[in-house]
Amino acid sequence: MQLRRVSALLVAGAVVATACSSTSVDERPVIEVFGTFREADAQNFGATVEPFEEEHGVEVRYVGSGSFEQEIRQRIADADYPDIALFPQPALLTEFAAQGLVRPLSAETAAAQQAAYGDNVVATFDGDLYGVWFKASVKSLVWYRSDTFAARGYKIPGSWSDLVQLTEQIEANGTTPWCLSMESFTQSGWVGTDWIEDIVLRQQGSDFYDDWVDGAVSFEDDAIVAALETFGDVVHTPGRVAGGVNRILNTPWQRAQDPMFDEEPGCLMHRQASFQEVHLPESAVLGENTDVFPLPSIDGSEPPVLVAGNLAAAFDDRPDVALLMEFLGTPEAGRVWASMGGFTSPHPDFQTEWYTSEFDRRIGEVLRKARTVRFDGSDLMTPAVGTGTFWSGMLTFVRTANARATAAEIQAGYPGAEPFEE
Amino acid sequence: MEPTDERTNISPPANDLTPITQIWGTIRQREDWTDDERTEVLNELFPDDERIVPYIKRFATLMVLSTTIAAFGLIANSAAVVIGAMLVAPLMTPMLALAASLTYAQMRRFVGSVSLIVIGTVGAIATGWVVARIAGGSLTATSLSSELLTRTTPSLLDLGIAIAAGLAGGYVLTHKGAGSSLPGVAIAVALVPPLATVGVALELQATDQALGALLLYSTNLVAIVLSASVVMVVSGFVPDYIRQAARGKIGLRLLPWGIALIAVALPLAAHTRAILEDDAFARDVTAAIEVWDPQAEIVDMDADRSGDRATVSMTVATSADRQSAWKLAKAITADLRVDLDLDVRYQQESTDAASTS
Repeated sequence: MQLRRVSALLVAGAVVATACSSTSVDERPVIEVFGTFREADAQNFGATVEPFEEEHGVEVRYVGSGSFEQEIRQRIADADYPDIALFPQPALLTEFAAQGLVRPLSAETAAAQQAAYGDNVVATFDGDLYGVWFKASVKSLVWYRSDTFAARGYKIPGSWSDLVQLTEQIEANGTTPWCLSMESFTQSGWVGTDWIEDIVLRQQGSDFYDDWVDGAVSFEDDAIVAALETFGDVVHTPGRVAGGVNRILNTPWQRAQDPMFDEEPGCLMHRQASFQEVHLPESAVLGENTDVFPLPSIDGSEPPVLVAGNLAAAFDDRPDVALLMEFLGTPEAGRVWASMGGFTSPHPDFQTEWYTSEFDRRIGEVLRKARTVRFDGSDLMTPAVGTGTFWSGMLTFVRTANARATAAEIQAGYPGAEPFEE
Repeated sequence: MEPTDERTNISPPANDLTPITQIWGTIRQREDWTDDERTEVLNELFPDDERIVPYIKRFATLMVLSTTIAAFGLIANSAAVVIGAMLVAPLMTPMLALAASLTYAQMRRFVGSVSLIVIGTVGAIATGWVVARIAGGSLTATSLSSELLTRTTPSLLDLGIAIAAGLAGGYVLTHKGAGSSLPGVAIAVALVPPLATVGVALELQATDQALGALLLYSTNLVAIVLSASVVMVVSGFVPDYIRQAARGKIGLRLLPWGIALIAVALPLAAHTRAILEDDAFARDVTAAIEVWDPQAEIVDMDADRSGDRATVSMTVATSADRQSAWKLAKAITADLRVDLDLDVRYQQESTDAASTS
């Protein structure tokens, strides 16, 4: 008789959190801010609110979580509200607004936001404005290996068909054109949703995009299926993405571009947002061997710009909380962070000379000059879809290459929709 | 009259011998050295006649071999191999020769032994570098083996070890019949492994770690030379006529080494403080974890605090309901007034069993 005993250890995954507070030990009133910024970003946010703390004699305690979407829901379920939360998803914020959980902006703060952003204000519900836009990033960018581009005489593509041609040319020269990976722990899939949004915005235009984001256009619409297929041309064409499907699904998105900087580049292009700057490997030097170009439009016109960012919203109506909300909505709020780099202000009155990083200044210019700006669709859609089936559907699509079935699976996430069955 | 027990009635001698004074007394115990015997011992440490050539050849060979063994052992993370390298290492001899030359005021032996130590030091670092170049494999500056890492953050403990080992080295040298203890001294106060660590770390461009290992080596060098010199003087190995002729100049010659000892002790004290701070911080974090989730069992934890910034990475085995990381981060920040980056991995243990017959 044999007896075998197998003991297995299962690592459930990493959860990360960052907390910051000022180090003095006095007993000032505390404003708790909860968000997604961690590590250096958390420190920079701490520095951002320091002038406010001094001016108003309060202490801002910031806590950042790597699983914000889950944790904020849990906190609300536990009635353990932060004073302010920094939402990456306006839709999550409006969902809470609809439930009466977050406080509408004060009349002054709301008027200032309206004056700054006009039609582009996000996070409104029932005529009230709930969020102030604090930090922005531009998503419609392609990071590329600029020294190899120069050495081989590749031109920055001016239109989508140029981009397709360039992709094929790079392949013909024996190099894998794209880097792409989507692993993001509980948020895996969002990288894919950005691709689809950028493609829909280019193939169908901004009005169609708005209807799709609002849920008026189904994911099963032929236009959305076509966008999935366009993305599929990149993902599922053998040899087009470094490491293929396996790497796309299993490599953390922060490490996506790393093969680009191998001695023999493992890829030459990576579509990712401006915030990728802080995740570049040490061997990457902006302006020397890497740079960005805008993801081109389909017809060669001024490309639309997909943006994302963080919106602050208050769960408490104490006067000090309202003051901090007002502060975060001002262009001056971003000055400290911009002076440290890695920050782009969405505010049209933010002075370009406040940027110390040339890259941040360029991104700020892109944002300011863009004629068509749209917020990241998945962050605006009903969370059950936007941060639910749309995220998970992208993983399904990468695995299965079945655009129509994927579209049905994503659409089934809408409340009241027929459950999706494979 | 009550019966008395003689054994309990014995009173201790007036000049009570505590363990330390007993040891010191033994170290000071004088041997009957003739001048010829002294010369013989000095020549074994560093010959000043025709035996110097084979001596240097032997030194160079053993130096390269011991550093190579040490570097391989450090990279392979094998404590046994590193200890083996210490037994082969010849660096202790010129250091004792240097101590002797300081106390005897022998310029030629001083210059010779210092030159040999400098060449040995540089050669050992270079050898470590070459071995890392060839066999460094998957090691990077951020993923050093634990054998390497333990040699990059010396503390005051290392200074204590080095002083005691220097005393032991001096004692073995100046007391006939104690010679078999020298390998133990070499193991206690390793000279070649820190040098190999400097070389390996430099090749991996881990400058801070290289400097840490160099500090450990400097600590050992200074402490050995100084404490061995003291033993040589107090044990009578340095003959009285030389001591009388020097008229206090021995103290003057040892003064720079005393200053050097203080110079290495300062960063060691800073390291020690940082280590103690991290330990205290880890205890506070552990206490916070117990409040956060009384069911949580810490599988491993790495807590590092410097000033008002801290990072904690940990793996916890949890009960069914796992607690959110942010709650722990918030609690620690509120309690300890520190900005914290926290990384929690949750582990679930499962067991599987099967039988066949």
